Amino acid sequence: MRRERETSRWLCVLLALSLVLLSPVQSHAYAGPGAGFAVLSSLWTLFVAFLYSAYAFLTWPLRHLLRLFRRRQSSGKAQIKRAVILGFDGMDPELAQRFIAEGKLPNLAKLQQQGSFHKLRTTYPPISPVAWSTFMTGVNPGKHNIYDFLARDEKSYLPFLSSAEIKGPKRSLKIGKYTIPLGKAQVKGMRRGTPFWHWLGKAGIFSSVIRVPVTFPPEKFEGVLLSGMCVPDLKGSQGTFCFCTTRKEVEKFREGGVRVPIERDGKTYRSYIPGPDDPLAESGGRELRSEFEIRPDPAKHQAEVILDTERCTLKVGEYSDWMSVKFKAGLGFSARGICKFYLKEITPEVEVYVTPVNIDPGKPDLPIAHPVTYSIYLAKLFGPYATLGLAEDTWALNEKVLDDDAFLAQCYSNHHDREQMLFDALEKTKSGLCACVFDTTDRVQHMFWRYFEEGHPAAREANGNKRPEVIPDLYRKMDDLIGKVMKQVDSDTLLLVVSDHGFKSFARCVNINAWLHQNGYLALKTGRTESGDWFEDVDWSRTRAYTMGLNGIYLNVKGREREGVVQSGTEVESLKEELRSKLDGLQDPESGKVGITNVFDCDATYAGPYVENAPDLLVGYTAGYRASWDSVMGKVTTQIFEDNLRAWSGDHCIDPREVPGVLFSNRKIADENPAIVDIAPTILKLFGVALPGNFDGKPWTVTGESLPKMGPAAFP
Amino acid sequence: MSLLHSPLLLVFLLSIVIGFLMVIVFRYTSDQKAIRVAKDHLKAHLLAVRLFQDQIQVVLISYWRIVRSTGTYLRLAFMPLLYVSVPLIFLMVQIDRYLGYTPLPTGQTFLVTAKLANSEALDQAVVKLPDGVTLTAPAVHVPAVREIVWRLSADAKGTGSLEVTAAGQSVTKSLEVSDGIKRISTIRLYDRWWERIFVSAEPELPASSGVQSIEVNYPERTISFAWMEWNWIWLFFVLSLIFGFLFKTILGIEI
Repeated sequence: MRRERETSRWLCVLLALSLVLLSPVQSHAYAGPGAGFAVLSSLWTLFVAFLYSAYAFLTWPLRHLLRLFRRRQSSGKAQIKRAVILGFDGMDPELAQRFIAEGKLPNLAKLQQQGSFHKLRTTYPPISPVAWSTFMTGVNPGKHNIYDFLARDEKSYLPFLSSAEIKGPKRSLKIGKYTIPLGKAQVKGMRRGTPFWHWLGKAGIFSSVIRVPVTFPPEKFEGVLLSGMCVPDLKGSQGTFCFCTTRKEVEKFREGGVRVPIERDGKTYRSYIPGPDDPLAESGGRELRSEFEIRPDPAKHQAEVILDTERCTLKVGEYSDWMSVKFKAGLGFSARGICKFYLKEITPEVEVYVTPVNIDPGKPDLPIAHPVTYSIYLAKLFGPYATLGLAEDTWALNEKVLDDDAFLAQCYSNHHDREQMLFDALEKTKSGLCACVFDTTDRVQHMFWRYFEEGHPAAREANGNKRPEVIPDLYRKMDDLIGKVMKQVDSDTLLLVVSDHGFKSFARCVNINAWLHQNGYLALKTGRTESGDWFEDVDWSRTRAYTMGLNGIYLNVKGREREGVVQSGTEVESLKEELRSKLDGLQDPESGKVGITNVFDCDATYAGPYVENAPDLLVGYTAGYRASWDSVMGKVTTQIFEDNLRAWSGDHCIDPREVPGVLFSNRKIADENPAIVDIAPTILKLFGVALPGNFDGKPWTVTGESLPKMGPAAFP
Repeated sequence: MSLLHSPLLLVFLLSIVIGFLMVIVFRYTSDQKAIRVAKDHLKAHLLAVRLFQDQIQVVLISYWRIVRSTGTYLRLAFMPLLYVSVPLIFLMVQIDRYLGYTPLPTGQTFLVTAKLANSEALDQAVVKLPDGVTLTAPAVHVPAVREIVWRLSADAKGTGSLEVTAAGQSVTKSLEVSDGIKRISTIRLYDRWWERIFVSAEPELPASSGVQSIEVNYPERTISFAWMEWNWIWLFFVLSLIFGFLFKTILGIEI
């Protein structure tokens, strides 16, 4: 029966084709607008392609000569034709060595044996935006101005994102109740210093840079770049997920997400995705929304999700593909993004998790790539992808909105997209620099350390559901990726596998604000024993020091802070010394272990024009300890030490000496104590490009040819 | 002239209706996702030429991929075309009978050509004209192609038929004298069924008649639009593309 249908279908097709082809009259050969569009657009595409190609061909010799001329002018003899830098955020050298010894990482083992392996000194503090900024600029934080994810406003004591500032358009037009923005949002990068690919470009060397942190907003240079960590979501935050539920709970999420009610309407459920603020609203703060429907089918254990014109059917525990979401503001203004749905439950309650609304890479509302068309190119080639800086939703797992499997699925989905981008960049960059940073290593270790370490407090509830294999699996997957890259590396290519820092347990929280309060350095308003977030109820007139963010302690300096009380000069110096002497070696009363190994004076740690923006002191926690969740958010509690019970159970914001990164290379690196700050000058030197004078890093001595045609190693 | 007798308006209406129907048919007979992916790949390779223009090898590879993606896109776009082509071709053949030619005008001469099975019968061939149509010149015989040509003139509007007799058998051919939109058959044929389907709107000539075809040279119709004279099919092509584009955008259909 089926075969008959197939046969008759093909007969129809043949008949139709014959009619079209054999029809003798011109007018009958036209078969509607579909064919018209197909033919016209194909011809147009070919025509445009021909024009582009002709332009590229005709001008190539001239451009090639210009490039050669620029190279001659600014460079010496290059030792390499191409540099491939694979960044694995948070890859830990001790774990890597352990897994290599266990035979789990054959490709890294091969690099170690035939090339080099070193621990890579990281930055103070060992936090990704700080370390990657140093990686790309070759300078210490005093010269690139990034000290943490957050910086504090001295006037308000409130935090702001340290890497970029997004403001509305400069001008607007007020018509009645509307304020119409004239122009685009202004994005100002706060990171200073010049990435080394800029210097390569000046010397006519092309670079492909993918998702290196703190590259938002993208800067112009000769090459292509997709911004990484610090790209905001459509709300302007660093990632706000949405949890839609029929459960009547009132408790808000602490961070990173909003709870949205689902309303039942017969067999259909309706909810909405919160979007950015209405740009037309006079006073601001009116949130745009995009509504969607859920139609559960309990019998099939699935539901249909309808968002605008798109729809998808999801099984419980399944993610959708990226879906377009539009927030309409009126007068034709709208904001556009992409998100994924995750169907968590359909009976007895309906619960749907929605990822933070990412900037649509195919139609970006904010610049996320250089040139702007690069993000569009990648979206057209591979489909939509996560653009948010912190694309793996750690907050949703912390808040138990996502479970372990859902979180891992999200991580590896993003990782897969990144791999595709990397291999495309490798194909397109046969000479020059190809640098790509993978975040999966960082996020998975943050969230799954609790199962990896025996007796971690965050795993107490897990009982039989512990997943100790997740971190070894992670390293194995990264090793597979490295193996695939090694296949594409020839003897003229330098391959570096680097991480910005290592990883350790985060079992105990330390609230420095609580310690400062209990030791008389921070005062609360009369009658208060605890503060709210961001120093609510702090009496600044009696406060000499405070902390916010991950490692910094700030003094309340007169003339600098709005209500500063500490005189700059001797008083500041003696207070710093006093705090250091008391905090160094601070003991955890419960375990008797030292929670803080060292407190560093930033004046002695940093040098450069932006030192004034640095904290006054940096806390170097012992492995196993980190700033408490409350302390990070400027909250004073009564407990100084407490267990960390969150899924976010591994960390690296500790004493930098305890968490160096990794450095694997396919060439011999002679230096015994390499640092992340040395990478930029080393790459420039290997390409024969003159080093700018302000570098803090020193180029390594890299010897020998790369291992020729390194194939991936096989598992033993 | 009523609006429905305006060829321009008819072409507009047809373009809207067919533009809409074709876009809908396209939607349901095509692999929308595959078309979207193919178009996206095309655009990506185009962008690659621009983004990596200094890498001549990348430009060459991208150009090859553009050609390959164009092939994929055309293949995907033409599959639905195959589904719609049969009804659409027959529909357009019918429309062409109304809009392709104008009826014969009064007071002007026109030619009628009869092709016979053998040239010996040319001398016996005669034409009998309907009322209001007159012969304006003697018949011209072209033995090399077995044709006989009459020059005629119509003095009055109306629908009639002329009768050609050859080898003792008579056959008729319709004749339309008017100034409106009429269904017109320019030729009546013997055999050649394939051609009959597309160009003739009359029954087949009988085999015994010895006449292979009778053709009337109706004037081709042109339609004035945008300061230009258009053949209806070209105008339909342009307008249906425009309306199709509007509908596909409104309905979110990938073409």
